[in-house]
Amino acid sequence: MLNRFCKNTKFEFQGGAYRCLKKYFLPCIICLVITAQSDVSIAQTKGSKQNAASGQVSGTVVDEYGVALKGVHVVTKRKTDSTSTDVKGQFALKASAGDVLVFAYKNFYVREATVKGSDTVNVHLIPTYLKSQDKLDVLYGTADHKSVLGSISTIYTNQLTTTPASLYTYALPGQLAGLYTQQVSGFTAPPTSGQSHPDFIGNVVDHNNYAPNDNNEISLSLRGQTPITVIDGVQREISSIDPESIESISVLKDGLSTILLGDNSSRGVLLVTTRHPEAGKPRISLTAQTGLQHPLGLPAPLPAYQYAYLYNEALQNDGKPAIYSSSDFNAYRNHTDPTGHPDVNWFNTILQNYSPMTSYRLNVNGGTQVAKYTISVNYLDQQGMFKNAPGSLYNTNNDLNRYMINSDVSVNVTPKFNVDLQLFGRVQQTTQPGSGYNNILNTLYTTPNNAYPVYNPNGSFAGTSLYTNNLLSQTEYSGYERTNSNDVLANLDLNYDLSSITKGLSAKGKGNVSFSSQSFINRSLQNNAYLYSDSSYSAIGSTVSQSNSFNTVSSARYAYGQGSLNYNRSFGKNNITAMAFYDYRSVVLNFDLSQVNTNQALKAAYNYDGKYFVEGAIDNSSYNRYPPGHQFGLFYAGGLGWQMGKENFIKDNVSWVSEWKWRLSYGKTGNANVDNYGYYNFLQTYSASQGYAYTTGTARSNVQSELENGLANPYITWEKAHKLDFGTDIGLFNDHLKITADYYHDRYYDLLQIRGASIALLGASYPYENIGVNLYTGGELSLTYQNNAGNFNYFITGNASIQASKVVYSDEEPTPYPWIKHTGEPVNAIYGYKAIGIFQTAQEAASSPTTTGYSAQAGDVKYADLNHDGIINQFDITAIGNTKPTFFYGTTVGFDYKGFSFSAILQGVANRQILYDNGLVNGFEGVGFLGLVYSGQGYNVLTNRWTPETAATATMPRLSLGNANNTAWSSLYVRSGNYFRLRNAEVGYSLPAGWAHKISVSGIRIFVDGENLLTLYGYKGVDPEVNGIAYPIQRVFNAGINVKL
Amino acid sequence: MKGYKTLIFALAVITVIAGCKKYEQFPVDKVTINYVFDTKDSAGVNAQAFLYGIYAKLKNGHNRIGSDYLDAASDDAVSSALGPSNEVTILSTAAYNSYTVPKDEDLWAYYYQGIRSANIFINNVDVVPVLAKYNGYSIKHLWKNEARFLRAYFYFELVKRYGGVPLLGNKVFTITDNVALPRNTFDDCIKYIVSECDAIKDTLLTAPLANPNADSHRVTQGAALALKARVLLYAASPLFNGGNIDASNPLTGYSDFQSNRWALAAAAAKDVMNLGVYSLVPKYLDVFLTQNNPEIIFMREVDNGHNIETANGPVGFTAAVGKGQTSPTQELANAFPMNNGLAITDPASGYDPNNPYTNRDPRFGYTLLYNGAEWLNTPLQTYEGGLSKPNLGLQQTQTSYYMRKFMGYNESANSYSGHNEDWLIIRYADILLDYAEAQNEAVGPDASVYQALTTIRQRAGIQPGTDNSYGLAAGMTQDQMRTVIQNERRIELAFEESRYWDIRRWKIAETVMNQPRTGVSIIQNGTGFLYNNINVLTTKFVSPKMYLYPIPYDEVLKNPNMKQNPGW
Repeated sequence: MLNRFCKNTKFEFQGGAYRCLKKYFLPCIICLVITAQSDVSIAQTKGSKQNAASGQVSGTVVDEYGVALKGVHVVTKRKTDSTSTDVKGQFALKASAGDVLVFAYKNFYVREATVKGSDTVNVHLIPTYLKSQDKLDVLYGTADHKSVLGSISTIYTNQLTTTPASLYTYALPGQLAGLYTQQVSGFTAPPTSGQSHPDFIGNVVDHNNYAPNDNNEISLSLRGQTPITVIDGVQREISSIDPESIESISVLKDGLSTILLGDNSSRGVLLVTTRHPEAGKPRISLTAQTGLQHPLGLPAPLPAYQYAYLYNEALQNDGKPAIYSSSDFNAYRNHTDPTGHPDVNWFNTILQNYSPMTSYRLNVNGGTQVAKYTISVNYLDQQGMFKNAPGSLYNTNNDLNRYMINSDVSVNVTPKFNVDLQLFGRVQQTTQPGSGYNNILNTLYTTPNNAYPVYNPNGSFAGTSLYTNNLLSQTEYSGYERTNSNDVLANLDLNYDLSSITKGLSAKGKGNVSFSSQSFINRSLQNNAYLYSDSSYSAIGSTVSQSNSFNTVSSARYAYGQGSLNYNRSFGKNNITAMAFYDYRSVVLNFDLSQVNTNQALKAAYNYDGKYFVEGAIDNSSYNRYPPGHQFGLFYAGGLGWQMGKENFIKDNVSWVSEWKWRLSYGKTGNANVDNYGYYNFLQTYSASQGYAYTTGTARSNVQSELENGLANPYITWEKAHKLDFGTDIGLFNDHLKITADYYHDRYYDLLQIRGASIALLGASYPYENIGVNLYTGGELSLTYQNNAGNFNYFITGNASIQASKVVYSDEEPTPYPWIKHTGEPVNAIYGYKAIGIFQTAQEAASSPTTTGYSAQAGDVKYADLNHDGIINQFDITAIGNTKPTFFYGTTVGFDYKGFSFSAILQGVANRQILYDNGLVNGFEGVGFLGLVYSGQGYNVLTNRWTPETAATATMPRLSLGNANNTAWSSLYVRSGNYFRLRNAEVGYSLPAGWAHKISVSGIRIFVDGENLLTLYGYKGVDPEVNGIAYPIQRVFNAGINVKL
Repeated sequence: MKGYKTLIFALAVITVIAGCKKYEQFPVDKVTINYVFDTKDSAGVNAQAFLYGIYAKLKNGHNRIGSDYLDAASDDAVSSALGPSNEVTILSTAAYNSYTVPKDEDLWAYYYQGIRSANIFINNVDVVPVLAKYNGYSIKHLWKNEARFLRAYFYFELVKRYGGVPLLGNKVFTITDNVALPRNTFDDCIKYIVSECDAIKDTLLTAPLANPNADSHRVTQGAALALKARVLLYAASPLFNGGNIDASNPLTGYSDFQSNRWALAAAAAKDVMNLGVYSLVPKYLDVFLTQNNPEIIFMREVDNGHNIETANGPVGFTAAVGKGQTSPTQELANAFPMNNGLAITDPASGYDPNNPYTNRDPRFGYTLLYNGAEWLNTPLQTYEGGLSKPNLGLQQTQTSYYMRKFMGYNESANSYSGHNEDWLIIRYADILLDYAEAQNEAVGPDASVYQALTTIRQRAGIQPGTDNSYGLAAGMTQDQMRTVIQNERRIELAFEESRYWDIRRWKIAETVMNQPRTGVSIIQNGTGFLYNNINVLTTKFVSPKMYLYPIPYDEVLKNPNMKQNPGW
């Protein structure tokens, strides 16, 4: 199967070296495996025989790589004896044949083994799916999880690797409490044109949508804000890191956890930590997997005869003559005239049902106490859903092709001085059909089945004067476009232990330079189509010969420097940590000026006996895009904690409570988003008009003019927030059951808005000012239960979040009608008319209010006239959707039984609504030049339209062509956006160690997993996440093998 | 040794941090005010460019209101694109309220933008050391006065729409200023505009221009005086002077009637006439087609082209595409006298209802295209089913007339060619008519009133008649003369954005606009034609509120000091 996909992947002549790399990638890896295996087999044989005494059972406990595990608790099931493994993983204890030994080790599944005839029991332990680490990754460091006062949710490697996808963000839905996700596209959207000068000058530069962010498929919202991604202590929006090389992903949700970001601390952080080098023999892991993607949520197009019938009906409703006769219907229905009366399902014509996705991953980790290393190499090839022309020399289908390498070398230069160098490189190539896949999708969704046949009788591409560019020709014969992205990132960490000066003091330095560039190659072409009529062919459309152009899309340079002095010491029961911190971040996008961000912070924490915690931080932060003299701001945060579980009244009375911590944190945070609202907008600027303003004199000399731009706001400053979080962490029954609950109250203020009293007498447009106030409140609850029954280890973890938002203050234009106001409504409420049904009779239509200038008929949408002025207009717009708090949840269940493992991620959203009002639902969209011809495609939903006969059951208004009244935003088109998905499931089997050893590897695991396997919809018509004209969400079936050496 | 390493480490950190310090603080390509008003620029290039930006705020009236002429919202024409959402139809059928004024007449914010630009210029131009001189002083003083003229003109455009509006003086508001200003009275506004005209009139270019090649678009002394005359004429008109729609409201007009206001208006018009530099050009159509002719007092320069023909030319000509946008009404057609100067209702006029288009005032043919008129080498067919009224469901004349005015001499052409399309804002004929109207009201129909009308009619090509009266009856009463002047104004200034405002300031809109608009349906009958009057649109005017536009809905809500006009 694997081979077949490899063959299907076509590379054209230009990328010769590339093809070689691809061709020999797998053989190379296999060679590597074989050369490495001799070492391994030696390592394996070493610990297998023990000197055994009578009644004494001994053995070795190793992990999947055959690396000895130290400190594994070994006990006979009858509790007659117990011991722990030593540094070589060896143990010995009293037991006899038939006894069952129980091996328990943190973050590994419990393993039971029966003592058989031999007195040796060697055991392999398998790491758990869910982990709980003592050290939590926090912003710019780690912290003891017991002393963390902020609200942090974390997932670890195994929770990421079951998701077959191009980005790690695909694995996040449903796994992190407080993180709301929505997939918006099923394939990466490569940028194809460079940013031009006007994109920067005088215009909004939206950094989050700008190209260096490679995640344009899953939108993330953490407690209502888009989080900032921090990878290994550096802000970078990279989402394509190999999940196997990621140690953990955390979301930092509260103000105290993010305060070191200073004027960017409001938004929350998505913290990605890659795997650190670990000393020991080389752990080599090789994974090869391949999957099939199948698009979901494609609409069902109307067959030609039904389309023609409904189109006639729409014409008649509009008082126009019908254009299809009954013989036309028959020809469409019976397919008797495929040329004159085509019935083409374009979805089937240009899309393939299953497209492959393949990836290989190699991870190596090991070293000595002096020098440790990790290397991760990753190759991914994801193909799109478009068909390729048979015999085509090159690939025109969407294709994402990526190589990544990540290496980390950590050297203890002296016992006190550690240097860690990380290098990350990514080479990515994205291909799409020459017309651009978005254009093809647009045309696909709007072309009716009867528009034109695929081919004319003579084999040429067919078309009409309206559809001049044949869809199949656009898909398969339009050449291709390619975007190449290259990233390099170098990260140097210096750690110096200064305990020689005073105990507990250390210094840390960090330097990071990264560079990202994207270029675009255009090899698109266009063919004309032929209109066949009266047995003659006339060419329509235009031909464009294949272009061969290259341009730069973007080039970005990031530099980051950080220095800190840390102090960490205990005096008896008093534990103190403190930090003085400075960082500097500079970003240069293309030819834009540097954006420079600095933070000077002090942070200190104290706890008494691990019971009473207090922590505080203060950050003087600056951003150079604010007015001179107003670039620095002070942000601060603090927290209190109480480990109630350590108090005697708990310990003595309810011993099954292993941990019960209360924590409270507050932060005054900032959001330096000024660039999203203008470019240096504190300066009053002037500019020349576009084109000539005026002609002068009888000579009619064209003259330029200088105009004042919109009013500057010299007082503009960062948005701010008061973020309050109150939470508790509970561990029960020896930590088998863990509960985390949080309540938050985040008040965002000084939000940039245009004032409501924007009086025109000013003579200019008002700028954005720090005005608005939004409140986000909500709660999160996570429950985790893990246990085992013998070798059956099982777990269930679930989280649920509820989030309410409210516009507390928005300087709205005064209005006499309270229902228009956004103040008091949720931030993401949907606004529109209130539809109160469909006019059933002409009389009802004539006597009811309707939109300006429209005379309603029976079958039109009836809107509520909220202000009773007899007309439907802007004063009748009100909140019609998303007025309730959003509720989202996820749960992961799974088990492992003797190497046979299963896991499933279920995820859902409730109280969500979407406004689905577009050409796909209304039908007969405007197509052609300027969209003036209302003859676009219609879909099944049109059969629910109002007709006098179906008046009682109709859910859609009467059919009409380009009817603005019936397609106005109204509650008629507000659909339930609730859904519940089986997001991911995996079944895996680790071959018994003995089998693996026979082929000289430590472990082999085979697995089958899938993505988006099952969905329960609120509104059935469309996919709840990716809807409208977008690359559809994919169901993925994936199989793979993992070999560990 | 250990200290040495620490030192290196510290140095490395410092180097990294210090090395990053240098970066540009501001984008050099951002243009600030110091660049626009440059203290070192003796040519004043950017300052002048800024002034051009203010000039560009002048509106080009050709097909200005959603592709129609504003006068298609008066009783002179209807839009051929009849439809409820058509902007002029909304205006003429009273289908608007304070938040749905059609966008091309919703100019409140637009003119305040112009006023702001003018104020920026006026406040800052002094620093520019412009070397070029006029009459011995720096030309920047002229520029400044041009900006003041434009500002005064923008205020006039506001006042005729809204009554009294807030006067800002030279103030350029910043973000912290309170702009919730109240309206100034109508009286204040008139006084302000007039005083501005007086203040600037002596430091402007004078006509005839020494260098029209470069300056024909510029504000002149004559323009300042002519604006003053027009403003005073409006102020003296019944709507504001004695007929205030809200009698005691100083925002909407004067609270009393003063005959003296007419005298002031007459004197102001006389001042322009006394300059002696303006005259009527011999051929009526040349006024619009010739650049820099002595009749032009102030204009909005446009360009050469045949956009007017494309938009308004009759339909049905394949070599000369026209969309026939404007359908002049039968009312306008009937307003034109015969070529002997007598109204068609006069039994002595010689008017023949069966041959309605013969022997009319030549301006009839200069203003309208009618059935049988020579156009593009063919007699125009606007009879039912004719080439230019094919009744095929496409846009065509509603009234059997097309607009002719402003177009080139295409009677014997095969296709349209480019010509001057400047939009005249004030021409000498306006001044003569202003004078005649004001003088008649102030003094009565004296000889100078007759003289002004005769001058106009003579140029129009009306036969002088044996008594050289050009069809004007001798010894008219003031009321009779008023009727004559109002009609003369209608036909002379048709489609020049005069009628729409005149019926308001004369307070006759409630009469003329509450009648149906009519056209004619022409049936070919052998070689002759049958003419049947038809109604084409039921126009509507709600009195008194529609005499003034509503202040934009939002502005009243946002500004507690902003008083809405009565009735809105």
